[in-house]
Amino acid sequence: MSAPELHNIPGHRAVETLVAKLRRRQVIGSREAALETVLVLRQVVARARFSNIKQLIAIIREVGRRLSEAQPKEHTVGNTVRRVLHNIREEYNTATKGAASASTRNVYSISKFVLQGQPRKHNVALKSEATATLKEDDPDDPDSFAGGSSQCSWRPSRTSSTSWKPFTTTSPRTQKTTSTQSKSADARFPRSIHHLTLIRSEIILTIGHSRTVESFLKSAGHYRNYTVIVAETAPSYSGHEMARALSAASLSTFLVPDSSIFAIMSRVNKVILGAHAILANGGLFAISGALLAATAARAHSTPVVVCAGQFKLTPLWNLYHDYGALDFADPSSVLGFEEGGLVDSVDVVNPYYDYVGPELVDVFITNDGDHPPSSVYRLIKETYDDDDHEL
Amino acid sequence: MAPELSTPQAKSQKAMTKAERRELQERQRAAKAAKAPSAPSSSPAPKKGPETSAKPTVAGSSKPPKDAKSAMPSIVDIDAGKARGLRIFSHFGLPKPVSVGKGDIHPSIVRLALLFSSFKIAGANARCIATLTAFKTVSYSRLCYTSKQHTFPPSHDTSLPQISHLVAARPMSVTMGNAIRQLKLDISGSDIDLPEQDAKDALCHKIDNYIRDRIIIADQVIQETAGSKIKDGDVVLTYARSSVVEKVLLGAHSAGRTFSVVVIDSRPMLEGKRLLSILSSAGIQCTYLLLPALGSVITEVSTVFVGAHSLHTNGAVYSRAGTALVAMMAKRHSVPVVVCCETYKFSESVQLDSFTKNELAPVGDLFSSFPLTKPRDALMLENKPNLEILNPLYDLTPPTCITAVVTEVGVIPQIPSALYHSLSADCFELLITFVLDHRLASCSHSSHSLFS
Repeated sequence: MSAPELHNIPGHRAVETLVAKLRRRQVIGSREAALETVLVLRQVVARARFSNIKQLIAIIREVGRRLSEAQPKEHTVGNTVRRVLHNIREEYNTATKGAASASTRNVYSISKFVLQGQPRKHNVALKSEATATLKEDDPDDPDSFAGGSSQCSWRPSRTSSTSWKPFTTTSPRTQKTTSTQSKSADARFPRSIHHLTLIRSEIILTIGHSRTVESFLKSAGHYRNYTVIVAETAPSYSGHEMARALSAASLSTFLVPDSSIFAIMSRVNKVILGAHAILANGGLFAISGALLAATAARAHSTPVVVCAGQFKLTPLWNLYHDYGALDFADPSSVLGFEEGGLVDSVDVVNPYYDYVGPELVDVFITNDGDHPPSSVYRLIKETYDDDDHEL
Repeated sequence: MAPELSTPQAKSQKAMTKAERRELQERQRAAKAAKAPSAPSSSPAPKKGPETSAKPTVAGSSKPPKDAKSAMPSIVDIDAGKARGLRIFSHFGLPKPVSVGKGDIHPSIVRLALLFSSFKIAGANARCIATLTAFKTVSYSRLCYTSKQHTFPPSHDTSLPQISHLVAARPMSVTMGNAIRQLKLDISGSDIDLPEQDAKDALCHKIDNYIRDRIIIADQVIQETAGSKIKDGDVVLTYARSSVVEKVLLGAHSAGRTFSVVVIDSRPMLEGKRLLSILSSAGIQCTYLLLPALGSVITEVSTVFVGAHSLHTNGAVYSRAGTALVAMMAKRHSVPVVVCCETYKFSESVQLDSFTKNELAPVGDLFSSFPLTKPRDALMLENKPNLEILNPLYDLTPPTCITAVVTEVGVIPQIPSALYHSLSADCFELLITFVLDHRLASCSHSSHSLFS
């Protein structure tokens, strides 16, 4: 398969812009990166010229490769591309099912897709039962994600057409759905999960400012009365924003320095963390400090809950933790230039992320239900196609 | 109220006699009592008082008690705010008002109390030395100060207000408690018929000896013992700033060993910055990072050295908040954790977690520990509705996380509590005497130079 040159791809300007933004760290954070990627892909697909699915996939792959090479540590960029590819294949799969079974059996037969290793049967079976309305698009329905426990919220919109031509029209719609999903994946948690995780007058510890955790705690605050302790998470001190947001939502909030995480852990009932990326082995990358909190929680046998949208699932295995896995940020927030001569003579380290191993996590709560770390790999298999792991 | 009174008072403060000063305080108190119920809008005014006046107060050596008094309302406000919070935090030692003591408070004690409460003197050793030095001054000037009911040796009644004044400024450190207990023992053991001046000299001599034997020479021994654990090419990690660890590192560096140091630091105090500048100006290769980044460097570290506030009989180390996290991470990665702790920091009590005894640092950016690049309005610097800020100063490192404790009597492994018990009893005194005799003989000239 010959990869198309990027400058031949329509909409490559948008791609180049996002590449530059990612390189310059103007787009930081898994959520921002995912949303930007979806918007770019939407532009690309809307203008793409192709005559078969092979070409479309090649175009998207090329774009995805460029984007993920621009900032390999923003895993959600690659995840979003993989998810879109998965959706397109599924769409194609559904659209060509009738025709393919009849006579024109081409190389992209269903059997080949089925053999690619996903539990596709499950999905196909569900499709036949699913109603025509797009549940995910209904913002008022609290059960749109909770309802079908096996129904993936990233499920693409389906078309009733049997030809694969309508891709040009349906794909943007698919991506729009994906985009809204990655937005609302944060805000939507099945109500049952709140019952599962939080009980009355508990003390919760969280670190940094994760929008997923914030919305989780806020929505749980409607049913439960509990206290949140926020560690301020130097050097970004994003815990201050979190504390502000939570206390504004009239949750009882305490703000503590990172140094007291161990001291207060003996009184904490649960630790809730956000994630930057969830890896296939069940570990995760999270804001630096998450490892401290998770380890301290383990030392006190306190459960650790990770709240993350499904778009953070990353088909990578991080079996070791070293500098290569980390991303380093501007050291001036650790040791400012006001320190004068010190800045010259010392090394200052300011990593963005920590790697938290699967043994430190008890449960992942996603918009697709709750999963133990040991079943994340399966979740990833269901979410992406195997051939997309390397873009 | 603060501005209108402060100008004439600051001038005359030194000149005033104690009676005058007390009278002035009474007047202020009356004025405040009259003002308080009538004007709730005036409550922000006294709140600003301590903030604006704290710095000049500390800078100058004279300590007008007025400042101390005006600090009271704001802290009472905070207290009231805290009361509605979670009850599990309510017993923490809050920054207390530096109140006017009940008895006669010696100026040097008043000064010390203010230095303590503003964290200008922090750290177990520094506080203990400062307290003992101040007591020396007190005992010399006691005659002129409490001429009427003067008794010497100073009885329990006269020394108590001084101590309680210090404790009101900041909860007493274990080291201070141990030193004061020793001092009282010495006083009660002194001969009642001794002439006053001789008794004072004897007392001051004992204080000097205590500082020399239990702190300064102890540190020298620890410096040698712990320094010998640092090998060429080691990466030593330390947390915050301990005076002993600082000496250990500098000693090992001057002994010609090449190693690098990772300084971990955290709010609320950010004491590590000071250690960093000392070490790097001595020419030691340093790496500086904040506590959350610990997970990414711990694998590179060969030894962790930390100081202690006190060491309890169950083997737990009570130290600057964050030490427990560092020790925990080191233990997880099989990095040895060495605690440098003089024996006078041993506490008779057992502590099980960081909640039974702790202390809160004042809320806000007192130690200017937030980065300047961070806009101040993005930070939560004071309590808000539904939001409380807690800055615990200490935490308790469980004994399981500690590999060894280096004391001046040798290296103690992580041992069962019973041994600590026996150690802290008489046999321990014997050990110390033995070691000190040995030390005094060998390094008498160096200790003399320290005192001269």
